[in-house]
Amino acid sequence: MSDTNDALASAKAAADRIVKAKRLNACLTPSKELRTSLLRQAQTVHPSGVLYGMPVAVKDNICTLEFTTTCGSKVLEGYRSPYEATAISKLKAAGALIAGKANCDEFAMGSSTEHSAYGRTVHPMDKTRVPGGSSGGSASLVAAGAVPAALGSETGGSVRQPASFCGVVGIKPTYGRVSRSGLVAFGSSLDQIGVLGRSVHDAARVLSVISGRDPKDATCEDRDPLRLPTVPESLQGFVIGVPKEYFPPDLDAGVRRACDRALRLLRELGAAVREVSLPHTAYAVPTYYIIAPAEASSNLARYDGARYGPRFNGSMDVRALYRHTRGEGFGAEVQRRILVGTYVLSSGYYDAYYRKAQQMRALIAQDFRNAFDRGVDLLFTPTTPTPAFRAGEKTADPVAMYLSDVYTVTANLAGLPALSLPLGRIKGLPIGGQFIGQAFLEDEMLEAAYALERVVPAGEEV
Amino acid sequence: MSVSREDVLKIAHLAELEVDETTLPALAEQMSRILVYVAQISGVAASEAVKPFIPGPDAVRFRPDEVKPIPLAFGPDTLAPAFKEGFFLVPKLGQFEEAPE
Repeated sequence: MSDTNDALASAKAAADRIVKAKRLNACLTPSKELRTSLLRQAQTVHPSGVLYGMPVAVKDNICTLEFTTTCGSKVLEGYRSPYEATAISKLKAAGALIAGKANCDEFAMGSSTEHSAYGRTVHPMDKTRVPGGSSGGSASLVAAGAVPAALGSETGGSVRQPASFCGVVGIKPTYGRVSRSGLVAFGSSLDQIGVLGRSVHDAARVLSVISGRDPKDATCEDRDPLRLPTVPESLQGFVIGVPKEYFPPDLDAGVRRACDRALRLLRELGAAVREVSLPHTAYAVPTYYIIAPAEASSNLARYDGARYGPRFNGSMDVRALYRHTRGEGFGAEVQRRILVGTYVLSSGYYDAYYRKAQQMRALIAQDFRNAFDRGVDLLFTPTTPTPAFRAGEKTADPVAMYLSDVYTVTANLAGLPALSLPLGRIKGLPIGGQFIGQAFLEDEMLEAAYALERVVPAGEEV
Repeated sequence: MSVSREDVLKIAHLAELEVDETTLPALAEQMSRILVYVAQISGVAASEAVKPFIPGPDAVRFRPDEVKPIPLAFGPDTLAPAFKEGFFLVPKLGQFEEAPE
């Protein structure tokens, strides 16, 4: 079979699988448009690329030329970006096929993919549950076997949390490892494009391709792309820290058993495991929910119905145009975060909230530096406090929803790389464990994940 | 920190956001709950000398200052709800309003 035929076969198979997974509401691209685009891409795809013919779904807050980019919002309904994200250009140059846009919480604000203007995404193993969020569509498509890998984005755990809920691998790179050009901004000091994959290797090789310098993003480090490590025979010489604050007495018993089993396996692989303390961990979620909404309230000011996107009731006055467009176009969670962000930045409250949160962020980052300075190579924690929760369970209580990010937001605040991989099942539902690495040492994190993935019985009950 | 219905309206005004009247009581209650929750950081001692943490490169790299064609697949006229002769069209600015007390 010729190269083009290989890519065509891959494109056709991917289109079939994604259409078959339609019940999940994970892919926002209409089936016919998706199939046509995949076949067109397969005709022109680069045959020597390292991802030749690999279908990769893309979260709908990452700009593509092939498909609309709505961010799961009515305010960008039908929006077609005039440029594509650097990560997308790199994927295409490596021979990957862009396999449609994945559903997400509106503007990546959410932990359940229930806050999408285009309907909630369903957990692939239990339709009554959520797939996590905000990259729930990406996680669902990978878990359902529709694509081997998908791009997501992280601001506070939006790749790792759905990866844990759906039983797939999720990687959040170091802040600055992957260009943010073309990633629709939510919290600019926290946002990073991440990867979900059916295995550590699938996710890592996509990450390697999209990583590296980009003159279009001043916050992207001037570094070569990530070089993938080989699968190690043992973890001899690795020191893995276990932060005691991530294992409180009331931690879900199944999650604790899964982590205990993983730590035993890491010791058997030769790693030294030692307890460490990250004393400001308890303040990470409140810190995050000041900084992220503050940045969001500024970033989302651009959606006003003047330059792009639909216009709602905007005939009488320009300020009425802004207010109606934003009031009609944004969903409840996005409105809440804009209001909270505006509040914490407003005169009289800035010092008590935003300035204090910046100090807390520095203390949280210092906690990690202290742990790594004491000889720890990596940290190991649960990714989430529980397996996937039921749809509707937390929608009425925003704080309860925010607390599902309790183990993931710290890495975003400190700008560190982190990876979630499946550890086992609790009553049939997957649960993940997390490695947190040192800045720009993703290779060490990947080595540990490769080794653990080979020995952990991720499909079995714990 | 308790947020009233009037506080929500004031903040919504600053944020150029029209808020549905029927959702105001719930919104005020949820915002209050969120603000009480995040305010727990005020109890943590932090020295004023703590240097802010900013992720990413130590120094911003500037792009060369050179004129290049705009690398867009299509122009703003295709994207804009209303566009004419190089300008985005919007309704006129009405009277300046005072923020609600």
